[in-house]
Amino acid sequence: MNLERADALAAEYVLGTLRGRARSRFERMARTDRRLDAALRDWEERLLPLAEAAPEVAPPPRVWVAILARIGGAAAAAAARPSFRQSLGLWRALAVAGFAAAFILMVVLVRPAVERPEQTIVVLLAGPDAKPALVASADLNGRYLTVKAVTPVELAADRALELWALPEGGNPRSLGLVSAAGVARVALPAPAGAALARIPTLAVSLEPKGGSPTGLPTGPVLYTGAVQRLY
Amino acid sequence: MAIDPAKQLERNARLMELLARTALSDQRAFAELYRLTSSHLYGAALRILRDSAAAEEVLQESFVNVWHHANSYVSGKSQPLTWLTRIVRNRCLDQLRRKDVDTVAIDDEEESVTIADEGPSPLEMLVAGADARAVKACVEGLEAAQKQAIALAFYQGLSHSELAAHLKEPLGTVKSWIRRGLERLKACLDGVGLAR
Repeated sequence: MNLERADALAAEYVLGTLRGRARSRFERMARTDRRLDAALRDWEERLLPLAEAAPEVAPPPRVWVAILARIGGAAAAAAARPSFRQSLGLWRALAVAGFAAAFILMVVLVRPAVERPEQTIVVLLAGPDAKPALVASADLNGRYLTVKAVTPVELAADRALELWALPEGGNPRSLGLVSAAGVARVALPAPAGAALARIPTLAVSLEPKGGSPTGLPTGPVLYTGAVQRLY
Repeated sequence: MAIDPAKQLERNARLMELLARTALSDQRAFAELYRLTSSHLYGAALRILRDSAAAEEVLQESFVNVWHHANSYVSGKSQPLTWLTRIVRNRCLDQLRRKDVDTVAIDDEEESVTIADEGPSPLEMLVAGADARAVKACVEGLEAAQKQAIALAFYQGLSHSELAAHLKEPLGTVKSWIRRGLERLKACLDGVGLAR
């Protein structure tokens, strides 16, 4: 291949018009041909900075959660401090959470106070539209999480919803499967207060029937929610 | 849309540092890198793929890839954002490739291409991008048809055949616009000494 031809191919590769088999062939050749690789780098430096002119669009938060789940950790709290636009969804979710909290508090307060007030943990799990899909709650000393589907989730017969705890700086831990409609009880390894002590976030992923075969989320993360402590 | 060169240098230095720390498995640095670049990269992917689910997938795959291969970034070789853009764009183009497996087959198809018309047009982006990079004269030196074809291919990921359908011109004409446009762009950019 002469130099001119190599340069023309590199240009169309970076521009994006080199497609199909020609594209893969070019990639393979550039890996071993230093001249071709150099032409490619030069074109990338010429054209790719122009891509910065495309308008920025904030990706939905679930993308970051899914990335974290896949790299096996959660810098979640320090993570992507949301921009104002992104945080609108979060605020909406928090507003809903606030109402839920107020409602639960009301229930707690209206009840005859025989003992000390109940201490509750609540997690509103919402998708990208910030509408809560599932609500998880537990007594501080309870050994299980009650997970209720607020709106029934459409689920193929061979799929399941799996609930995950996303600790700060550690792998997601499966808490168990939850049902797509109605109420599920998920057993906790310790009283809820302790089991969720260092868990800022819960997430629900779509998994094969029976749950993730790997022990880490394998499917898309559908819902996430902050762990709220009502005490 | 002009980018202050001093700010640009500062940002590049910051991104380089974050990439270096990511290569050492520093999750906080990685999170910050995501925070600073994801909107830019997602916006670019969305333009090319015109499908938010596909763009999300590309972004996810790209950052998982960055996490595992941040150590392959060589700071002297390319700008950090250019490096990230390359990863994302190549994944996007791979996705498109999967859609039109055999480009020869669709070359004759008169398929109409719908293009998102919100926000700036590809042509406006090209001019704005060139302006920001002080290479405006080079982009303006292109013939109108060349500029249009290059902008649509670059920002919207249109293939030769899609360009031909969209611009209602024969495939050969479109190909030569692109080829000549790129040649002219190169001659001009290399002449002015591209900002690196």
